[in-house]
Amino acid sequence: MPRFLQGLRALGGLALMLAPPAALAQSTPPAAKPALEGESCSVRGLMDQLRQGLGSSSKAYREYLNAVLREAAVSLPSGELHAAFDRETDPAMVEQLAAALVARSEREAEKDAIQAVARRALEDRDPSVRAATVRAMRRTGALEKTGDMYERLMRDGSPEVRMEAAQNLIEDNQYVYSGHHGPATDTAVNAAVASTDPKVTAKLLESLDTRKLGPEAGQKLLGMLGHESADVRRSAALALGGVPAAQMAPAREALVGMYRGERDAGVRKALVQGIAELGFADAVPELRKLRSVDPSMAPEIDAWIRVLQSGVQEWGLLLREKQRLQQVR
Amino acid sequence: MRFMKKTALAAILALAVPSVAAAYSYTVKSPFPGTVTATTYYSSGTFHGALDISSGRCNYWGVETGVMASLSWNVTIRTSGVYCNGTGSGTQNEAKHAFANGKTFRLWHFIKTSDSFDRTCNRCQVGNEGGTGNATGPHVHAQYDQSGSNLTGWYSGYTTKGEAVDRSETIGVLE
Repeated sequence: MPRFLQGLRALGGLALMLAPPAALAQSTPPAAKPALEGESCSVRGLMDQLRQGLGSSSKAYREYLNAVLREAAVSLPSGELHAAFDRETDPAMVEQLAAALVARSEREAEKDAIQAVARRALEDRDPSVRAATVRAMRRTGALEKTGDMYERLMRDGSPEVRMEAAQNLIEDNQYVYSGHHGPATDTAVNAAVASTDPKVTAKLLESLDTRKLGPEAGQKLLGMLGHESADVRRSAALALGGVPAAQMAPAREALVGMYRGERDAGVRKALVQGIAELGFADAVPELRKLRSVDPSMAPEIDAWIRVLQSGVQEWGLLLREKQRLQQVR
Repeated sequence: MRFMKKTALAAILALAVPSVAAAYSYTVKSPFPGTVTATTYYSSGTFHGALDISSGRCNYWGVETGVMASLSWNVTIRTSGVYCNGTGSGTQNEAKHAFANGKTFRLWHFIKTSDSFDRTCNRCQVGNEGGTGNATGPHVHAQYDQSGSNLTGWYSGYTTKGEAVDRSETIGVLE
């Protein structure tokens, strides 16, 4: 823009600023002042905000909105929240509303609110909605409050739903129960046994902390060693490595017995790891005996023997040491 | 030389191996409205290594678990009845969560109510403010410990002695 035009524009702006209000009023028709309206924290308001926000490119903002809804959930009107949840069909919004209902349950504002979420996770016709409602129950006490829901979800027709359910059981055991709650571990094992999807069963078992596993579920886990899928056998062998003291002897016996007949190299590796975890340094004589069964496994067994003889008393550190040895080899 | 290279590489890779213990970060809110009356050291200079919070009123405020997450809480009742000024060392009522990494978060001294039972919840009430166990007045002792040592970093920088806190006030972060 030429400099003289810029000067005129600035002058015009200054004139407008200095003009008396009366003069301005004469040039424009008087407009009614917008009435200020009080606004309450409503389900509809939060949903509108959320719907807009979910399209935001900022992950932090989306997480903030999720957190706001979950925190506000305890003071929102229950009826409105349930109605909004029942009406909603967009999976992303269903997940948020389900999470709000679960939060009401977890905060003990409405203990049974989670039942509506569980019902929809099992019965909704849209698999994306079922998966979304399952995700909403992640890292909560849902497995204690929903009966056999997880076993039923393991037989869901959608692989996405089955995988989300398995992920819930893994994360609930890891974060909510910190591996210290036997019934939670048993629920995960029962769900794994009920599953008809070997991929899901394997994922569930290999990530499970079994230190508080009950005897009945322990027997079921032993039975999984005979599964037709090598992935399931491998993960069952890994899971058996962590069972409580009372179940260690039969687990060790089963793993050693199975090693001789097993043909899959991956499963054999898992069996050796399971035996090592069950016995620590005491497993060394057993591992030496197994060394001659399959010569191709000798380097793996030697590495375990070396690690177990290091005298380290913590499984996590032993695993690290084993990985280190493999890397320098 | 070749061995040194391998060892160095292994050391770097070992550091890159993810930790076996689950990572978490949970904000802790005050279990009830009150004042922080003790932190790392008592006025006497004795090590305390925890937070004491008191409203000064016995059997009044519902004590919440405070941690902003769904966790399974183990509630142990060692003393039934309303006690405000102590019942002897080791007799405190306790709500605790033991994390998979070996750390434990505990709340002590509350009075048993109908809410004092084991359950999985997010900031639920487990009792009333009281003085069961080794206490000279009604308060809650919030402690995060590992292998018998009290950790102090979880509240440092979040609260100080004398601060007035309510249930929405962050008093620390557990990691």
